[in-house]
Amino acid sequence: MADFRLPANSRIRKGTTHTAPEGAREVRTFRIYRFDPDSGENPRVDTFELEAGECGQMVLDALIRIKSTVDSSLTFRRSCREGICGSCAMNIDGVNRLACITSLHDLGREVRIYPLPHMPVVKDLVPDLTHFYAQYASVKPWLLAHQSPPPPDRERLQSKAEQEKIDRPAACILCACCSTSCPSYWWNSDRYLGPAALLAAYRWIIDSRDEAGGERLDALEDPFKLYRCHTIMNCTDVCPKDLNPARAIAEIKKMLVERQS
Amino acid sequence: MSLRSPLGRALGAGSAKEGVHHWWSQRLSAVALVPLSIWFVVSMLSLPSHDYAMVTAWMEQGWTPVFLILFVLTAAWHSHLGVRVVVEDYVHNSGTKSLALALVAFLHVVIAVAGVFAILKVAFGGAA
Repeated sequence: MADFRLPANSRIRKGTTHTAPEGAREVRTFRIYRFDPDSGENPRVDTFELEAGECGQMVLDALIRIKSTVDSSLTFRRSCREGICGSCAMNIDGVNRLACITSLHDLGREVRIYPLPHMPVVKDLVPDLTHFYAQYASVKPWLLAHQSPPPPDRERLQSKAEQEKIDRPAACILCACCSTSCPSYWWNSDRYLGPAALLAAYRWIIDSRDEAGGERLDALEDPFKLYRCHTIMNCTDVCPKDLNPARAIAEIKKMLVERQS
Repeated sequence: MSLRSPLGRALGAGSAKEGVHHWWSQRLSAVALVPLSIWFVVSMLSLPSHDYAMVTAWMEQGWTPVFLILFVLTAAWHSHLGVRVVVEDYVHNSGTKSLALALVAFLHVVIAVAGVFAILKVAFGGAA
């Protein structure tokens, strides 16, 4: 029944400490999770001390600084550095967020950085998101309108009000902050779709141009795929784009009840 | 290691086309339990004493047994729905899970039947 032993590579060792350069006036400390599967060793937490003036504004700036001046083997994903690509999602001081838009001024003198919780780790701060993306693909996040042929002379039209309904849900950047903050997703991610995929499903269910709403609801009507959501609402709490996946899931549950009576 | 595609793994066994009824029953029973629990607590507090004779006398009068039976059945039903989810959440071995779910179901039926039987026995004056 219960597993009393920790899975392999769960025990975290104390790592190396890289002290601040001599003469540093103000020091910022970063405690960063490090894991290299090729080494065969358990993960460790390394400590990096930086001169505060050289950290830059955001957590990502500090990570890049560490990588280029202290330890070039530090591994993390990043791309746009403006909160639109979703690559640098990680657990910073216990909260899932994007390193590129998390200001160091909002954090304490010491910052703890871990990969997104409860995902297999590829290396250091890089989680394996294969299953997360597959779950997103499984809700068919594209327009399904095979019944009506597209108008020959123009696009499929939508009213302004109809477009506004999907504006917010469609702004999801798939950073995985929400799903990996959800305890239900931690325990049952093999079967529970998680807030991100369900938000995407909702976005297409309410799209006025889509004709597969019924099939989409059919596919979600499952004790695990949808109903593992116990309205914990960590998803809405952490979303760096201020979206509301918890609300979307509640709306899906409502639609499922409404179509029965 | 499995060579099944990530999408195949995510789709799994597909949708069970179930869950709405469970979800809705849990909400409905929760709503029903609000007045029933308040009625039960208020009744208990307003009894002058809680000795056997006083409580059985209260259980015999008027609508009390009806509300008591409703309370026991709704609470058992609601509890069954909730505990079932807890088992599904945390027990991952399929054999242990089936066994735990069966035990949970039996236990709740036993509790409900025993409760209703006790109430009826007192209400019809069978318990002296």
